[in-house]
Amino acid sequence: MSEEFQAHEIRDRIKIDYKYTFGGQSRFFIELMKNKKLLGTKCTKKSCGKAWMPPRINCSECYSPADWIEMKQTGTIEVSTIVWYTTSAFIKAIPYGIGFIKLDGADTALLQGIFSENLVPSKIKKGKRVKAVFSKEREGKMTDFFFVPEDEYENWISKAEFEGGV
Amino acid sequence: MRKVAIIGIGITPFRARYLDKTYFELAFDATKLALEDANKIGAEITHKDLESTVYGIYNELFERQFMPDIFTNSYLGMNNKPGTRVATGGATGGYTVRMAYAEVASGLSDLCLCIGLEKCNDCYDEQTGTTTPEVLNAIAYSADMTYEYPMGMMAASSYVSMVNAHFEEFGNPTEEHMAYVSVKNHGNAILNPKAQSPMKITVEDVMNSRIICYPFKMLDCCLYSEASAALILASEEKVKELGIEKPIWITGVAAANTDCFIGNREDMGRLYSNIYAAKAAYKMAGLNYDKIKQQIDLAELHDAFSGQEVISYEELGFVPFGEGGPWIEKSFEKPGEGPWIDGELPCCPCGGLIGCGHAVGATGIMSTGEAALQLRGDAGKHQIAIEKGRSIAHSIGGPGAAYAAVIVMANEEGLKKP
Repeated sequence: MSEEFQAHEIRDRIKIDYKYTFGGQSRFFIELMKNKKLLGTKCTKKSCGKAWMPPRINCSECYSPADWIEMKQTGTIEVSTIVWYTTSAFIKAIPYGIGFIKLDGADTALLQGIFSENLVPSKIKKGKRVKAVFSKEREGKMTDFFFVPEDEYENWISKAEFEGGV
Repeated sequence: MRKVAIIGIGITPFRARYLDKTYFELAFDATKLALEDANKIGAEITHKDLESTVYGIYNELFERQFMPDIFTNSYLGMNNKPGTRVATGGATGGYTVRMAYAEVASGLSDLCLCIGLEKCNDCYDEQTGTTTPEVLNAIAYSADMTYEYPMGMMAASSYVSMVNAHFEEFGNPTEEHMAYVSVKNHGNAILNPKAQSPMKITVEDVMNSRIICYPFKMLDCCLYSEASAALILASEEKVKELGIEKPIWITGVAAANTDCFIGNREDMGRLYSNIYAAKAAYKMAGLNYDKIKQQIDLAELHDAFSGQEVISYEELGFVPFGEGGPWIEKSFEKPGEGPWIDGELPCCPCGGLIGCGHAVGATGIMSTGEAALQLRGDAGKHQIAIEKGRSIAHSIGGPGAAYAAVIVMANEEGLKKP
C-alpha cells in the first residue's frame, strides 16, 4: 500500500527570559545611560597600554588589569556596509548602515550603527569622520547611541528623540 | 600519530527543506550511505563496527533541540560508545573532521564516524511568512550578544566587512570579480546531482540580482540548506585488515581561531585564521604554502559569499595578496587557467556552498568528502582530472569568520609524489 507522504508541522517557539549582568563591563553601560559617556579601558602595563573599545577590564594581550578611561566621542570609520536584507529581528529597520568605528584614542574598533540623512556607501566609507549621537531615553544598552557623519551632527541632535554627548 | 584514511563517504542531497525528514533521520541516511560506500571499496562493516562518533552540528535553534547529538546517537544505533559534538559555526564540518582525525590518529578508535548535519528551515518568520529571516536570526545569536547582535550584525554583514576592508586595501575583489565566483560555482553545481542551486548564469545576472548587504547581492550569497554528510575514518591497521581498495589519506589537518571581534583585528581585510590553518595543514602534509597551487589537483573552498572565496585564493596561498580578483577574472573561458573547473587549480568543482547550499554542520564534511571522492575518481559527472593525487578542503565560520580549518588529503599515488 503506497500512500502519498504528508508532513505534520507545528508552530513552536523557544523562549528564555534573562536578568543578565554585564559583569566587569557594567560601568560602560551605566556611564552611557546616566552620563552619555563612552568609556573604554587602557592596559595598565606601560609597555602595552592597549586601549580597548569595547572595554575589557583585563588586557587580553598581556594579562594585566586595564583601567577605565573616557574616550572621545568622535572617530573614524574603518569599514562599513549598508544592510538591505536581514534577520527577522531587524527586517523592519532596513536599509541600515553599520560599521566598525575607531574612536579617537582607541586601539580597537567598535561596531555601531551609522545613521545618515543620505545613506549611500560613499557617505559612510572608510576614513569618514563620525560623531556619537545619543537617545534621550537610554536603557544602558548599545542601542542608546549611534554614529552620524560629522557634518550631519547638528541636524541629528536637534531632533526631539536625540541629543548630543558630553 | 597514526595514519588516518577516509574509507567511506555518504552525502545526502542538499535541499531547501526536507518536509519528510528530521535532522536525525537525515543523519541516518548519510551514515547508511557512508557505510554502503565503505563496503563498495572493500570493507565489510555495519554501524556496529564503528567505535565512536564525532558530531558536527552548529545550531541548536535550527534543530529546535539542545544537545541534538545525543538524540542522533540514539537514532544511529550508536549507544554505549563515545560520541562528542563539535560546534564552530560555519567551520563546524572542518573542525569535526579534525577531531575525528584526532580520535583515530591518537589510537582511541580504529573506526570513527565523522558526521555533520543541519536542518535550518524549520525556523519560520511569521511577519514575512518566510523562513530565511528567522534562520538568519537564529544565526545572528552567534554574534557577540552584548556589543554586536543589538546592531543588526549577521552573517552577511560580518563577511562583507572583511571583503570591503580587503577592497579598500587592494582595490579588489570588485563586484565583477565576485560575480565570476558566483557564475563558476552555480555552473559547477549543474553536474552535481546533490546540489541545491545549479544554475547557468552570467556576470550580468549576478550584478542585477537584489542587493543583500552592500556590495553583496543575492547571487553572491550561498543559500541555507538542509543535509547531512558522513565520513568513516580508519586507522592504517584497519585499512589493511579490511582490505580497502582506495583509501584517501588525511595527510594534514589544521585549524586556527582568529579574533571574533573584527574591530580588534589589525588587518580587517585579512582572515589570519585561514593563513595559519593553511600553512600548518600544508606543513603537516609536507607541502609548501608558496607552491601549493602546483601541488594539489583541486580545492573545495568555503564560499559562503563569493567575495570570501576570492580572498581565500590569497590566504590559502594560491596567488599573492591582492591578486585573487584578477586571477578569476583574467582566466574566464581560458582552459588551463584560474580556479575554473578546467583551470590550473579547480576551486569548488562540486559547486561549493554557492552551488550546493550551506547545511552548516554538514558543509565542511561534504567538502572534505567531495575532495576525497575526486581523488578516488568517484566524483561522478563533475569528476576532474587527477594528476597529483592531492586535494584540500576548507572550512570557515563563526562571528567574523573567526574559525578556519584546512584538511589536506592524498590518494596512494599522492602520498608518493613530491
